[in-house]
Amino acid sequence: MEIQLLSSDKKKNKMSFILKGADPAFANAIRRCAIEEVQTMAIDDVEFRKNSSAFYDEMIAHRLGLVTLTTDLKTYNLPENCKCNGEGCARCSLKMTLKSSGPWQVYASELKSKDPKVKPVFGDTPIVKLLKGQKLELEVTAVLGKGKSHMKWSPGLVYYKYMPEVKIGEVKNAEEIAKACPPGVFEVKEGKLFVNKDELLKHDLAGMAEKVSGGAVTIEENPEEFVFCVESWGQLDCKEIIEQAAQEFESQLEEFGKLIKEK
Amino acid sequence: MIIPIRCFSCGKPIAHLWEQYKEGVAKGGNRKELLDKLGLERYCCRAVFLGHIDLIETAAQFKKV
Ligand SMILES: [Zn+2]
Ligand SMILES: [Zn+2]
Repeated sequence: MEIQLLSSDKKKNKMSFILKGADPAFANAIRRCAIEEVQTMAIDDVEFRKNSSAFYDEMIAHRLGLVTLTTDLKTYNLPENCKCNGEGCARCSLKMTLKSSGPWQVYASELKSKDPKVKPVFGDTPIVKLLKGQKLELEVTAVLGKGKSHMKWSPGLVYYKYMPEVKIGEVKNAEEIAKACPPGVFEVKEGKLFVNKDELLKHDLAGMAEKVSGGAVTIEENPEEFVFCVESWGQLDCKEIIEQAAQEFESQLEEFGKLIKEK
Repeated sequence: MIIPIRCFSCGKPIAHLWEQYKEGVAKGGNRKELLDKLGLERYCCRAVFLGHIDLIETAAQFKKV
């Protein structure tokens, strides 16, 4: 197995890499572990003291639940694995408060957290707008969770595609093919068609080449090479997501191995 | 009513980008360029912005039932 980093953009929270010498089952296991097993922090409980805004309590609670929180995996446990048996203590949950009165636009940054490591990733996320005289006062509880119980705990978007292998035969309409595909994927030099491999991996829609060329260009997939794309929602960084996914996968296998030994 | 916190389809947090977009559109900016600049690449996220109208201020004047 081999990994080759293609690109990493900290500002956009994106990363992509090539995984060589693996099979689809493994690639998919990593993808699924990343999306539904990696733990992140999210608001799971909202207690309303006052809400005279235009929104029902449930709507505000739902909006708060979807707010992404920076996650500190070292200090917090999953409530079900915590010593408190899920009752809620300082090691598995964090309380935050919000108090606001209109006329005012309430932002996520107004959530007051006692732990400076856990706060909304995007502070300027609008929660609700209060008119004159309207009030909002609430206390929220944030806990660690997994994407498989609710997507709000999912750390981001992870997907892969097979490595495309473009073969160019006798091409007559090179210009036309290059135009039909995303710009930069194909280049035309003196009437001949060339693939720009770096550009090709960035796009998903180069399949038109096959159709427009009438079969002269073929795109095959290599089932042992994968182009992975990771996009983080901000709770963890991209590398952390994949690291955690591998770790979760490993601990599942370990548990399975132990059970087999016991039987 | 109010901009959704996340994109309906892919789950990307988008609400924090709305005010910049709204300002840009009010100044007569090109929607495509604004969406590109904000990093909304997928058409699911772009659709949320293109189809959204802020109504909370109007709705807030009426009483909740
Ligand atoms: Zn606990
Ligand atoms: Zn989207």
